[in-house]
Amino acid sequence: MASMVEARHLSKRVSTSEGELVILNDINLSIAAAETVAIVGASGSGKSTLLGLMAGLDGASGGDMLLDGHNLSTMDEEQRAQLRGQSVGFVFQSFQLLPSLTALENVMLPIELKNDRNARQKAAQLLQRVGLESRVTHYPNQLSGGEQQRVAIARAFASEAKILFADEPTGNLDTTTGAKVIDLLFSLNKEYGTTLVLVTHDDRLAQRCRRIIRLVAGEITEDSAIAEDSITGEAVHG
Amino acid sequence: MAESRTSSVSVGNPVKPGTLVRVALRLLWRDWRGGELRLLLLAMIMAVTSVSGIALFTDRLERALLQESANMLAADRVMSTREPPPRELLTEAQSMGLATAEYIAFASMAFSDQDNLLVSVKAVSDAYPLRGSLQVADQVFGAPYVSGQGGPSRGEVWVESRVFSGLDIDVGDNVYVGESEFTVTRVLVLEPDRQQGGMMDNAGPRLLMHLDDVPETNVIQAGSRASYRYLFAGDQRALDAYTSWVRNQYDGLYRLRDVRDESAEVSEALSRGESFLMLGSLFAVLLAGVAIALTARRYSERHFDYAAILKTLGCTSNQISVIYFCILFVLLVLAVAVGSALGWLLHEGILRMLRSVIPIDLPSASGMPFVVGALTALICLFAFALPPLLALKHTSPLRVLRKDIGDAPLSTALPYVFGIVGGLSLILWYSQDLLITGILVAGVLSVAAVLSVLSYVLLRSGTAAGMRAGSAWMLAMSAVRRRRRQSVLQVLVFSLTIMCLLTLGLLRTDLIADWQAQLPENTPNHFLMNINNDQLDGMQNYFDRNNLQANPFYPMMSAGLLQVNGAPAPLPWDNDRPGAPSSVTERSAGEPEPGLGAEAAADSVGEGEMPRRVENRQVTYTGQLPPDNEIVAGSWWANDNRPNEVSVELDYAQRLGLQLGDELVFRLGQDEVTVNVTSFRTVRWDNMQPNFFFIFSPGTLEFIGATYLSTLLLEGEQKMLLNDLLRQYPTIVVLEVDALIEQIQTIIAQVSSAVELIAVLVLVAGALVLLSCVNATLDERFRENAILRTLGAGRKLIMSSLLIEFAFIGMLAGVIATLGAEVSVYYLQVEVFQQEFFPHYWVWFAGPVAGTLIIAGLGVGATRRVVNTSPLAVLRHLSG
Ligand SMILES: Nc1ncnc2c1ncn2[C@@H]1O[C@H](COP(=O)(O)OP(=O)(O)OP(=O)(O)O)[C@@H](O)[C@H]1O
Ligand SMILES: [Mg+2]
Repeated sequence: MASMVEARHLSKRVSTSEGELVILNDINLSIAAAETVAIVGASGSGKSTLLGLMAGLDGASGGDMLLDGHNLSTMDEEQRAQLRGQSVGFVFQSFQLLPSLTALENVMLPIELKNDRNARQKAAQLLQRVGLESRVTHYPNQLSGGEQQRVAIARAFASEAKILFADEPTGNLDTTTGAKVIDLLFSLNKEYGTTLVLVTHDDRLAQRCRRIIRLVAGEITEDSAIAEDSITGEAVHG
Repeated sequence: MAESRTSSVSVGNPVKPGTLVRVALRLLWRDWRGGELRLLLLAMIMAVTSVSGIALFTDRLERALLQESANMLAADRVMSTREPPPRELLTEAQSMGLATAEYIAFASMAFSDQDNLLVSVKAVSDAYPLRGSLQVADQVFGAPYVSGQGGPSRGEVWVESRVFSGLDIDVGDNVYVGESEFTVTRVLVLEPDRQQGGMMDNAGPRLLMHLDDVPETNVIQAGSRASYRYLFAGDQRALDAYTSWVRNQYDGLYRLRDVRDESAEVSEALSRGESFLMLGSLFAVLLAGVAIALTARRYSERHFDYAAILKTLGCTSNQISVIYFCILFVLLVLAVAVGSALGWLLHEGILRMLRSVIPIDLPSASGMPFVVGALTALICLFAFALPPLLALKHTSPLRVLRKDIGDAPLSTALPYVFGIVGGLSLILWYSQDLLITGILVAGVLSVAAVLSVLSYVLLRSGTAAGMRAGSAWMLAMSAVRRRRRQSVLQVLVFSLTIMCLLTLGLLRTDLIADWQAQLPENTPNHFLMNINNDQLDGMQNYFDRNNLQANPFYPMMSAGLLQVNGAPAPLPWDNDRPGAPSSVTERSAGEPEPGLGAEAAADSVGEGEMPRRVENRQVTYTGQLPPDNEIVAGSWWANDNRPNEVSVELDYAQRLGLQLGDELVFRLGQDEVTVNVTSFRTVRWDNMQPNFFFIFSPGTLEFIGATYLSTLLLEGEQKMLLNDLLRQYPTIVVLEVDALIEQIQTIIAQVSSAVELIAVLVLVAGALVLLSCVNATLDERFRENAILRTLGAGRKLIMSSLLIEFAFIGMLAGVIATLGAEVSVYYLQVEVFQQEFFPHYWVWFAGPVAGTLIIAGLGVGATRRVVNTSPLAVLRHLSG
């Protein structure tokens, strides 16, 4: 199976006032299409940095990063942006909706950027799918955190991305709301057959992925697949 | 595992431009509805409105003033000579598309059946006047109206009211000039160019006749004194083309002159007014530019997150530029459209307000003011708004993961470089003057320098004081210190704004005061000339008897400078240079005829030698320094007995290259005198008083016969005394300059009301800057105060700390602004307007107080919302 994400001897170093800081060191991994992967680790272990590198939001200091067959390290920011628009979706801890656009317009944006004429219709369908059909004209600051995150999830799937990156999508939400959001994320993921890469330090959330990659101080210490039957019960979405 | 494809392979359809425009419009619309863009658009509209409004107003006013001054010549250009000039000069002008007219002016006796009178005849062609109009009446003191036909028809004459009493005639009676008989058909009330021309042209009350009647009168024969004038009118390009044709064809023998050459008094009043209007609109634009920069910066700061999110959604840097460029473009179009319309309304409003002061009908405006407005908006946008918005494209998409990334681009030098270059080019474009640009730049730089020192010191001491005072002080001072860079920026912007306002206010007061001083109430409006020595006592008696305020009698004679230190004297003004001051004295003396520059007489100095040009000037001798004259080098003889000395006007001396102590030889008639230069004087050429280039010391020229010159103030009915005076002293010549003085005073009144209005506009622009400056920190204040209030701080405490903060910044700005304004006013007045400078003590009180009150008021007004919104709403709003 073609790998969706592949890192070869990937490293990330930054220079600080106290000298060079190694954030990621010799990361090697390969994620197949339609896989669901959780990246776990202590705070500061480099999870977000790795996610940023995999999604092409930042350039690596060494090694190669391949996304959907494209070598990110040989692409410039313009090409990476095009690739993101084409194949990548995001869900962030702090939602990152455009505050001056309504829920509907936020979801329409990536569809419009793909020159799709049916943006409004598709966005409305997605919002309905995440249960927000009554809030389409609301602005982000009129929505609760959970609702905002559901809009963000709808937006992430709107671009029909092949791979979805989520950085602590439940980090700003309470347990119950977080669980609902996660249900939604996984069920949509299943529907669309998307590859999902999820950063979290919530073990229960990690357990719902097929594979867990553990980071300690910038290095992979564990990369384990989870048997199908041990995946924690997926709540059936209404 | 798949082999990696080469990255050059396209990864999908590029986003279509149409999509980007749609996204841009959507963002624009939302930002507009959310109030994000209102202030930016408002600042841009303000810039366009004030520029196009002021430009429209000054454009029309300037056209009006130009028209009025063209009226003073009855043409756009004139050429005057002592001999009939070649007809070719007229035919060529006509072939170049210019309108032409001509007249001959000469002094002659006019006879009626009862009496006779010396009149100054003006014989005009059909087309006269090319500019302005003749005002006539059907009976003496009847209601004046504009003559529809130009001048009188053949066989008719129009005369001034004084002729009726002088000749004891009525409308319809006959008068005789030379060998011809004429019927008086109208009373001549006003001719546009009454005061133009030399002494002989104005030697008595006017009699206007047709040009074609002149030959039959047989008055003008070879050798008679007459002055010939050709008048030209047309558009600027034709005038320029014709001017250079004349110059090439006649090598300086004939010269075209406009109103600025003809009248130093009017050109002074005009050019000062223009400089001032320009300065006012410049201030307004710069202030609007600052407002634009501030609001654009705030807008782009708010959009860093947008850019980052758009990038994660697949927008490239260039596409982000396109989006924000679209937004700017729409803003520009909106601002230009709305601003131009408002500008039009504004200038219409101004005109309506000033209807009583601007009596003349203004000519309609050209399209230029709108172009100026649009260009200004464009420059402002490029210089002030584009750099922060373009910085958005450099936002790192990683910002969505790490907030601290992506703030960097704004701190680069680019926006400042753009702003400074844009500001400079605006100043230069508006002033067309390197000196003013330099002064303004120096003003701004010195304010910035003083500011950094002062703000450091004051912020520190203020902070220290705050420690001892109550907690509101502490909050305020720590707010000032925390936002140190913003505080300094605010003080800078506020002080620049207040400085602009103060400078304008001070200049306005001084300019108007100076103008009023220039022509005080009792400025004499008649020149009496050609008075003999033995008429002096009698005339003085006559004045005393009739309660007339006469001025000293100056002996006057024509003198040509032959030698300087034994070498032939240079000619100070060559013929191509229209820089020679032309005072009433010089013009009225009739000798240096304007068309030929200073009179250049071919003068054979001795047998076999080449004829040489000598410039004749009207000179005088007196023991008393005339009013408005000031000795700038050497010493005045006062009442010492120091014969054979001369005092020379400074500019003239510099052009001749004279030094104190030089030995000059003058020729007066048949005599030559040798004198030493013992002082240089400055002279106010525009004071409507007798002025002289050379004044000799008593005891030098008395042996030569002189005629005398004096000035007289005659108002209203007193004018009729002139006939009586002229009957008693028929040989004297009276020059009536009352019309000229009236014209100058009209211009002054118009310009000063325009100036007041522009001060108001600058004030509005200034307020806008203050608002956008306060608004720039609003987000942060909302957040801070919400946190403070959740921590338990009361509304009152926060309110008073806000008040203290703004009052402190305002006071600081007021002090610095006052300093800057005084320095700028000093330079502008001394260097640009050539006036004296006096410090304005009241400003040192008013500046800081006004700064404190205005900034505190505006600041608290704009941040009231901060305190009055519930903390929850604030936090919610900001996190969204
Ligand atoms: N640009 C940078 N400059 C300096 N240090 C950085 C930079 N980027 C990341 N780091 C550091 O690298 C380490 C890893 O950061 P990263 O954000 O990837 O951690 P994380 O695993 O996502 O932690 P958390 O669970 O708290 O989100 C941290 O110590 C962080 O401070
Ligand atoms: Mg993280």
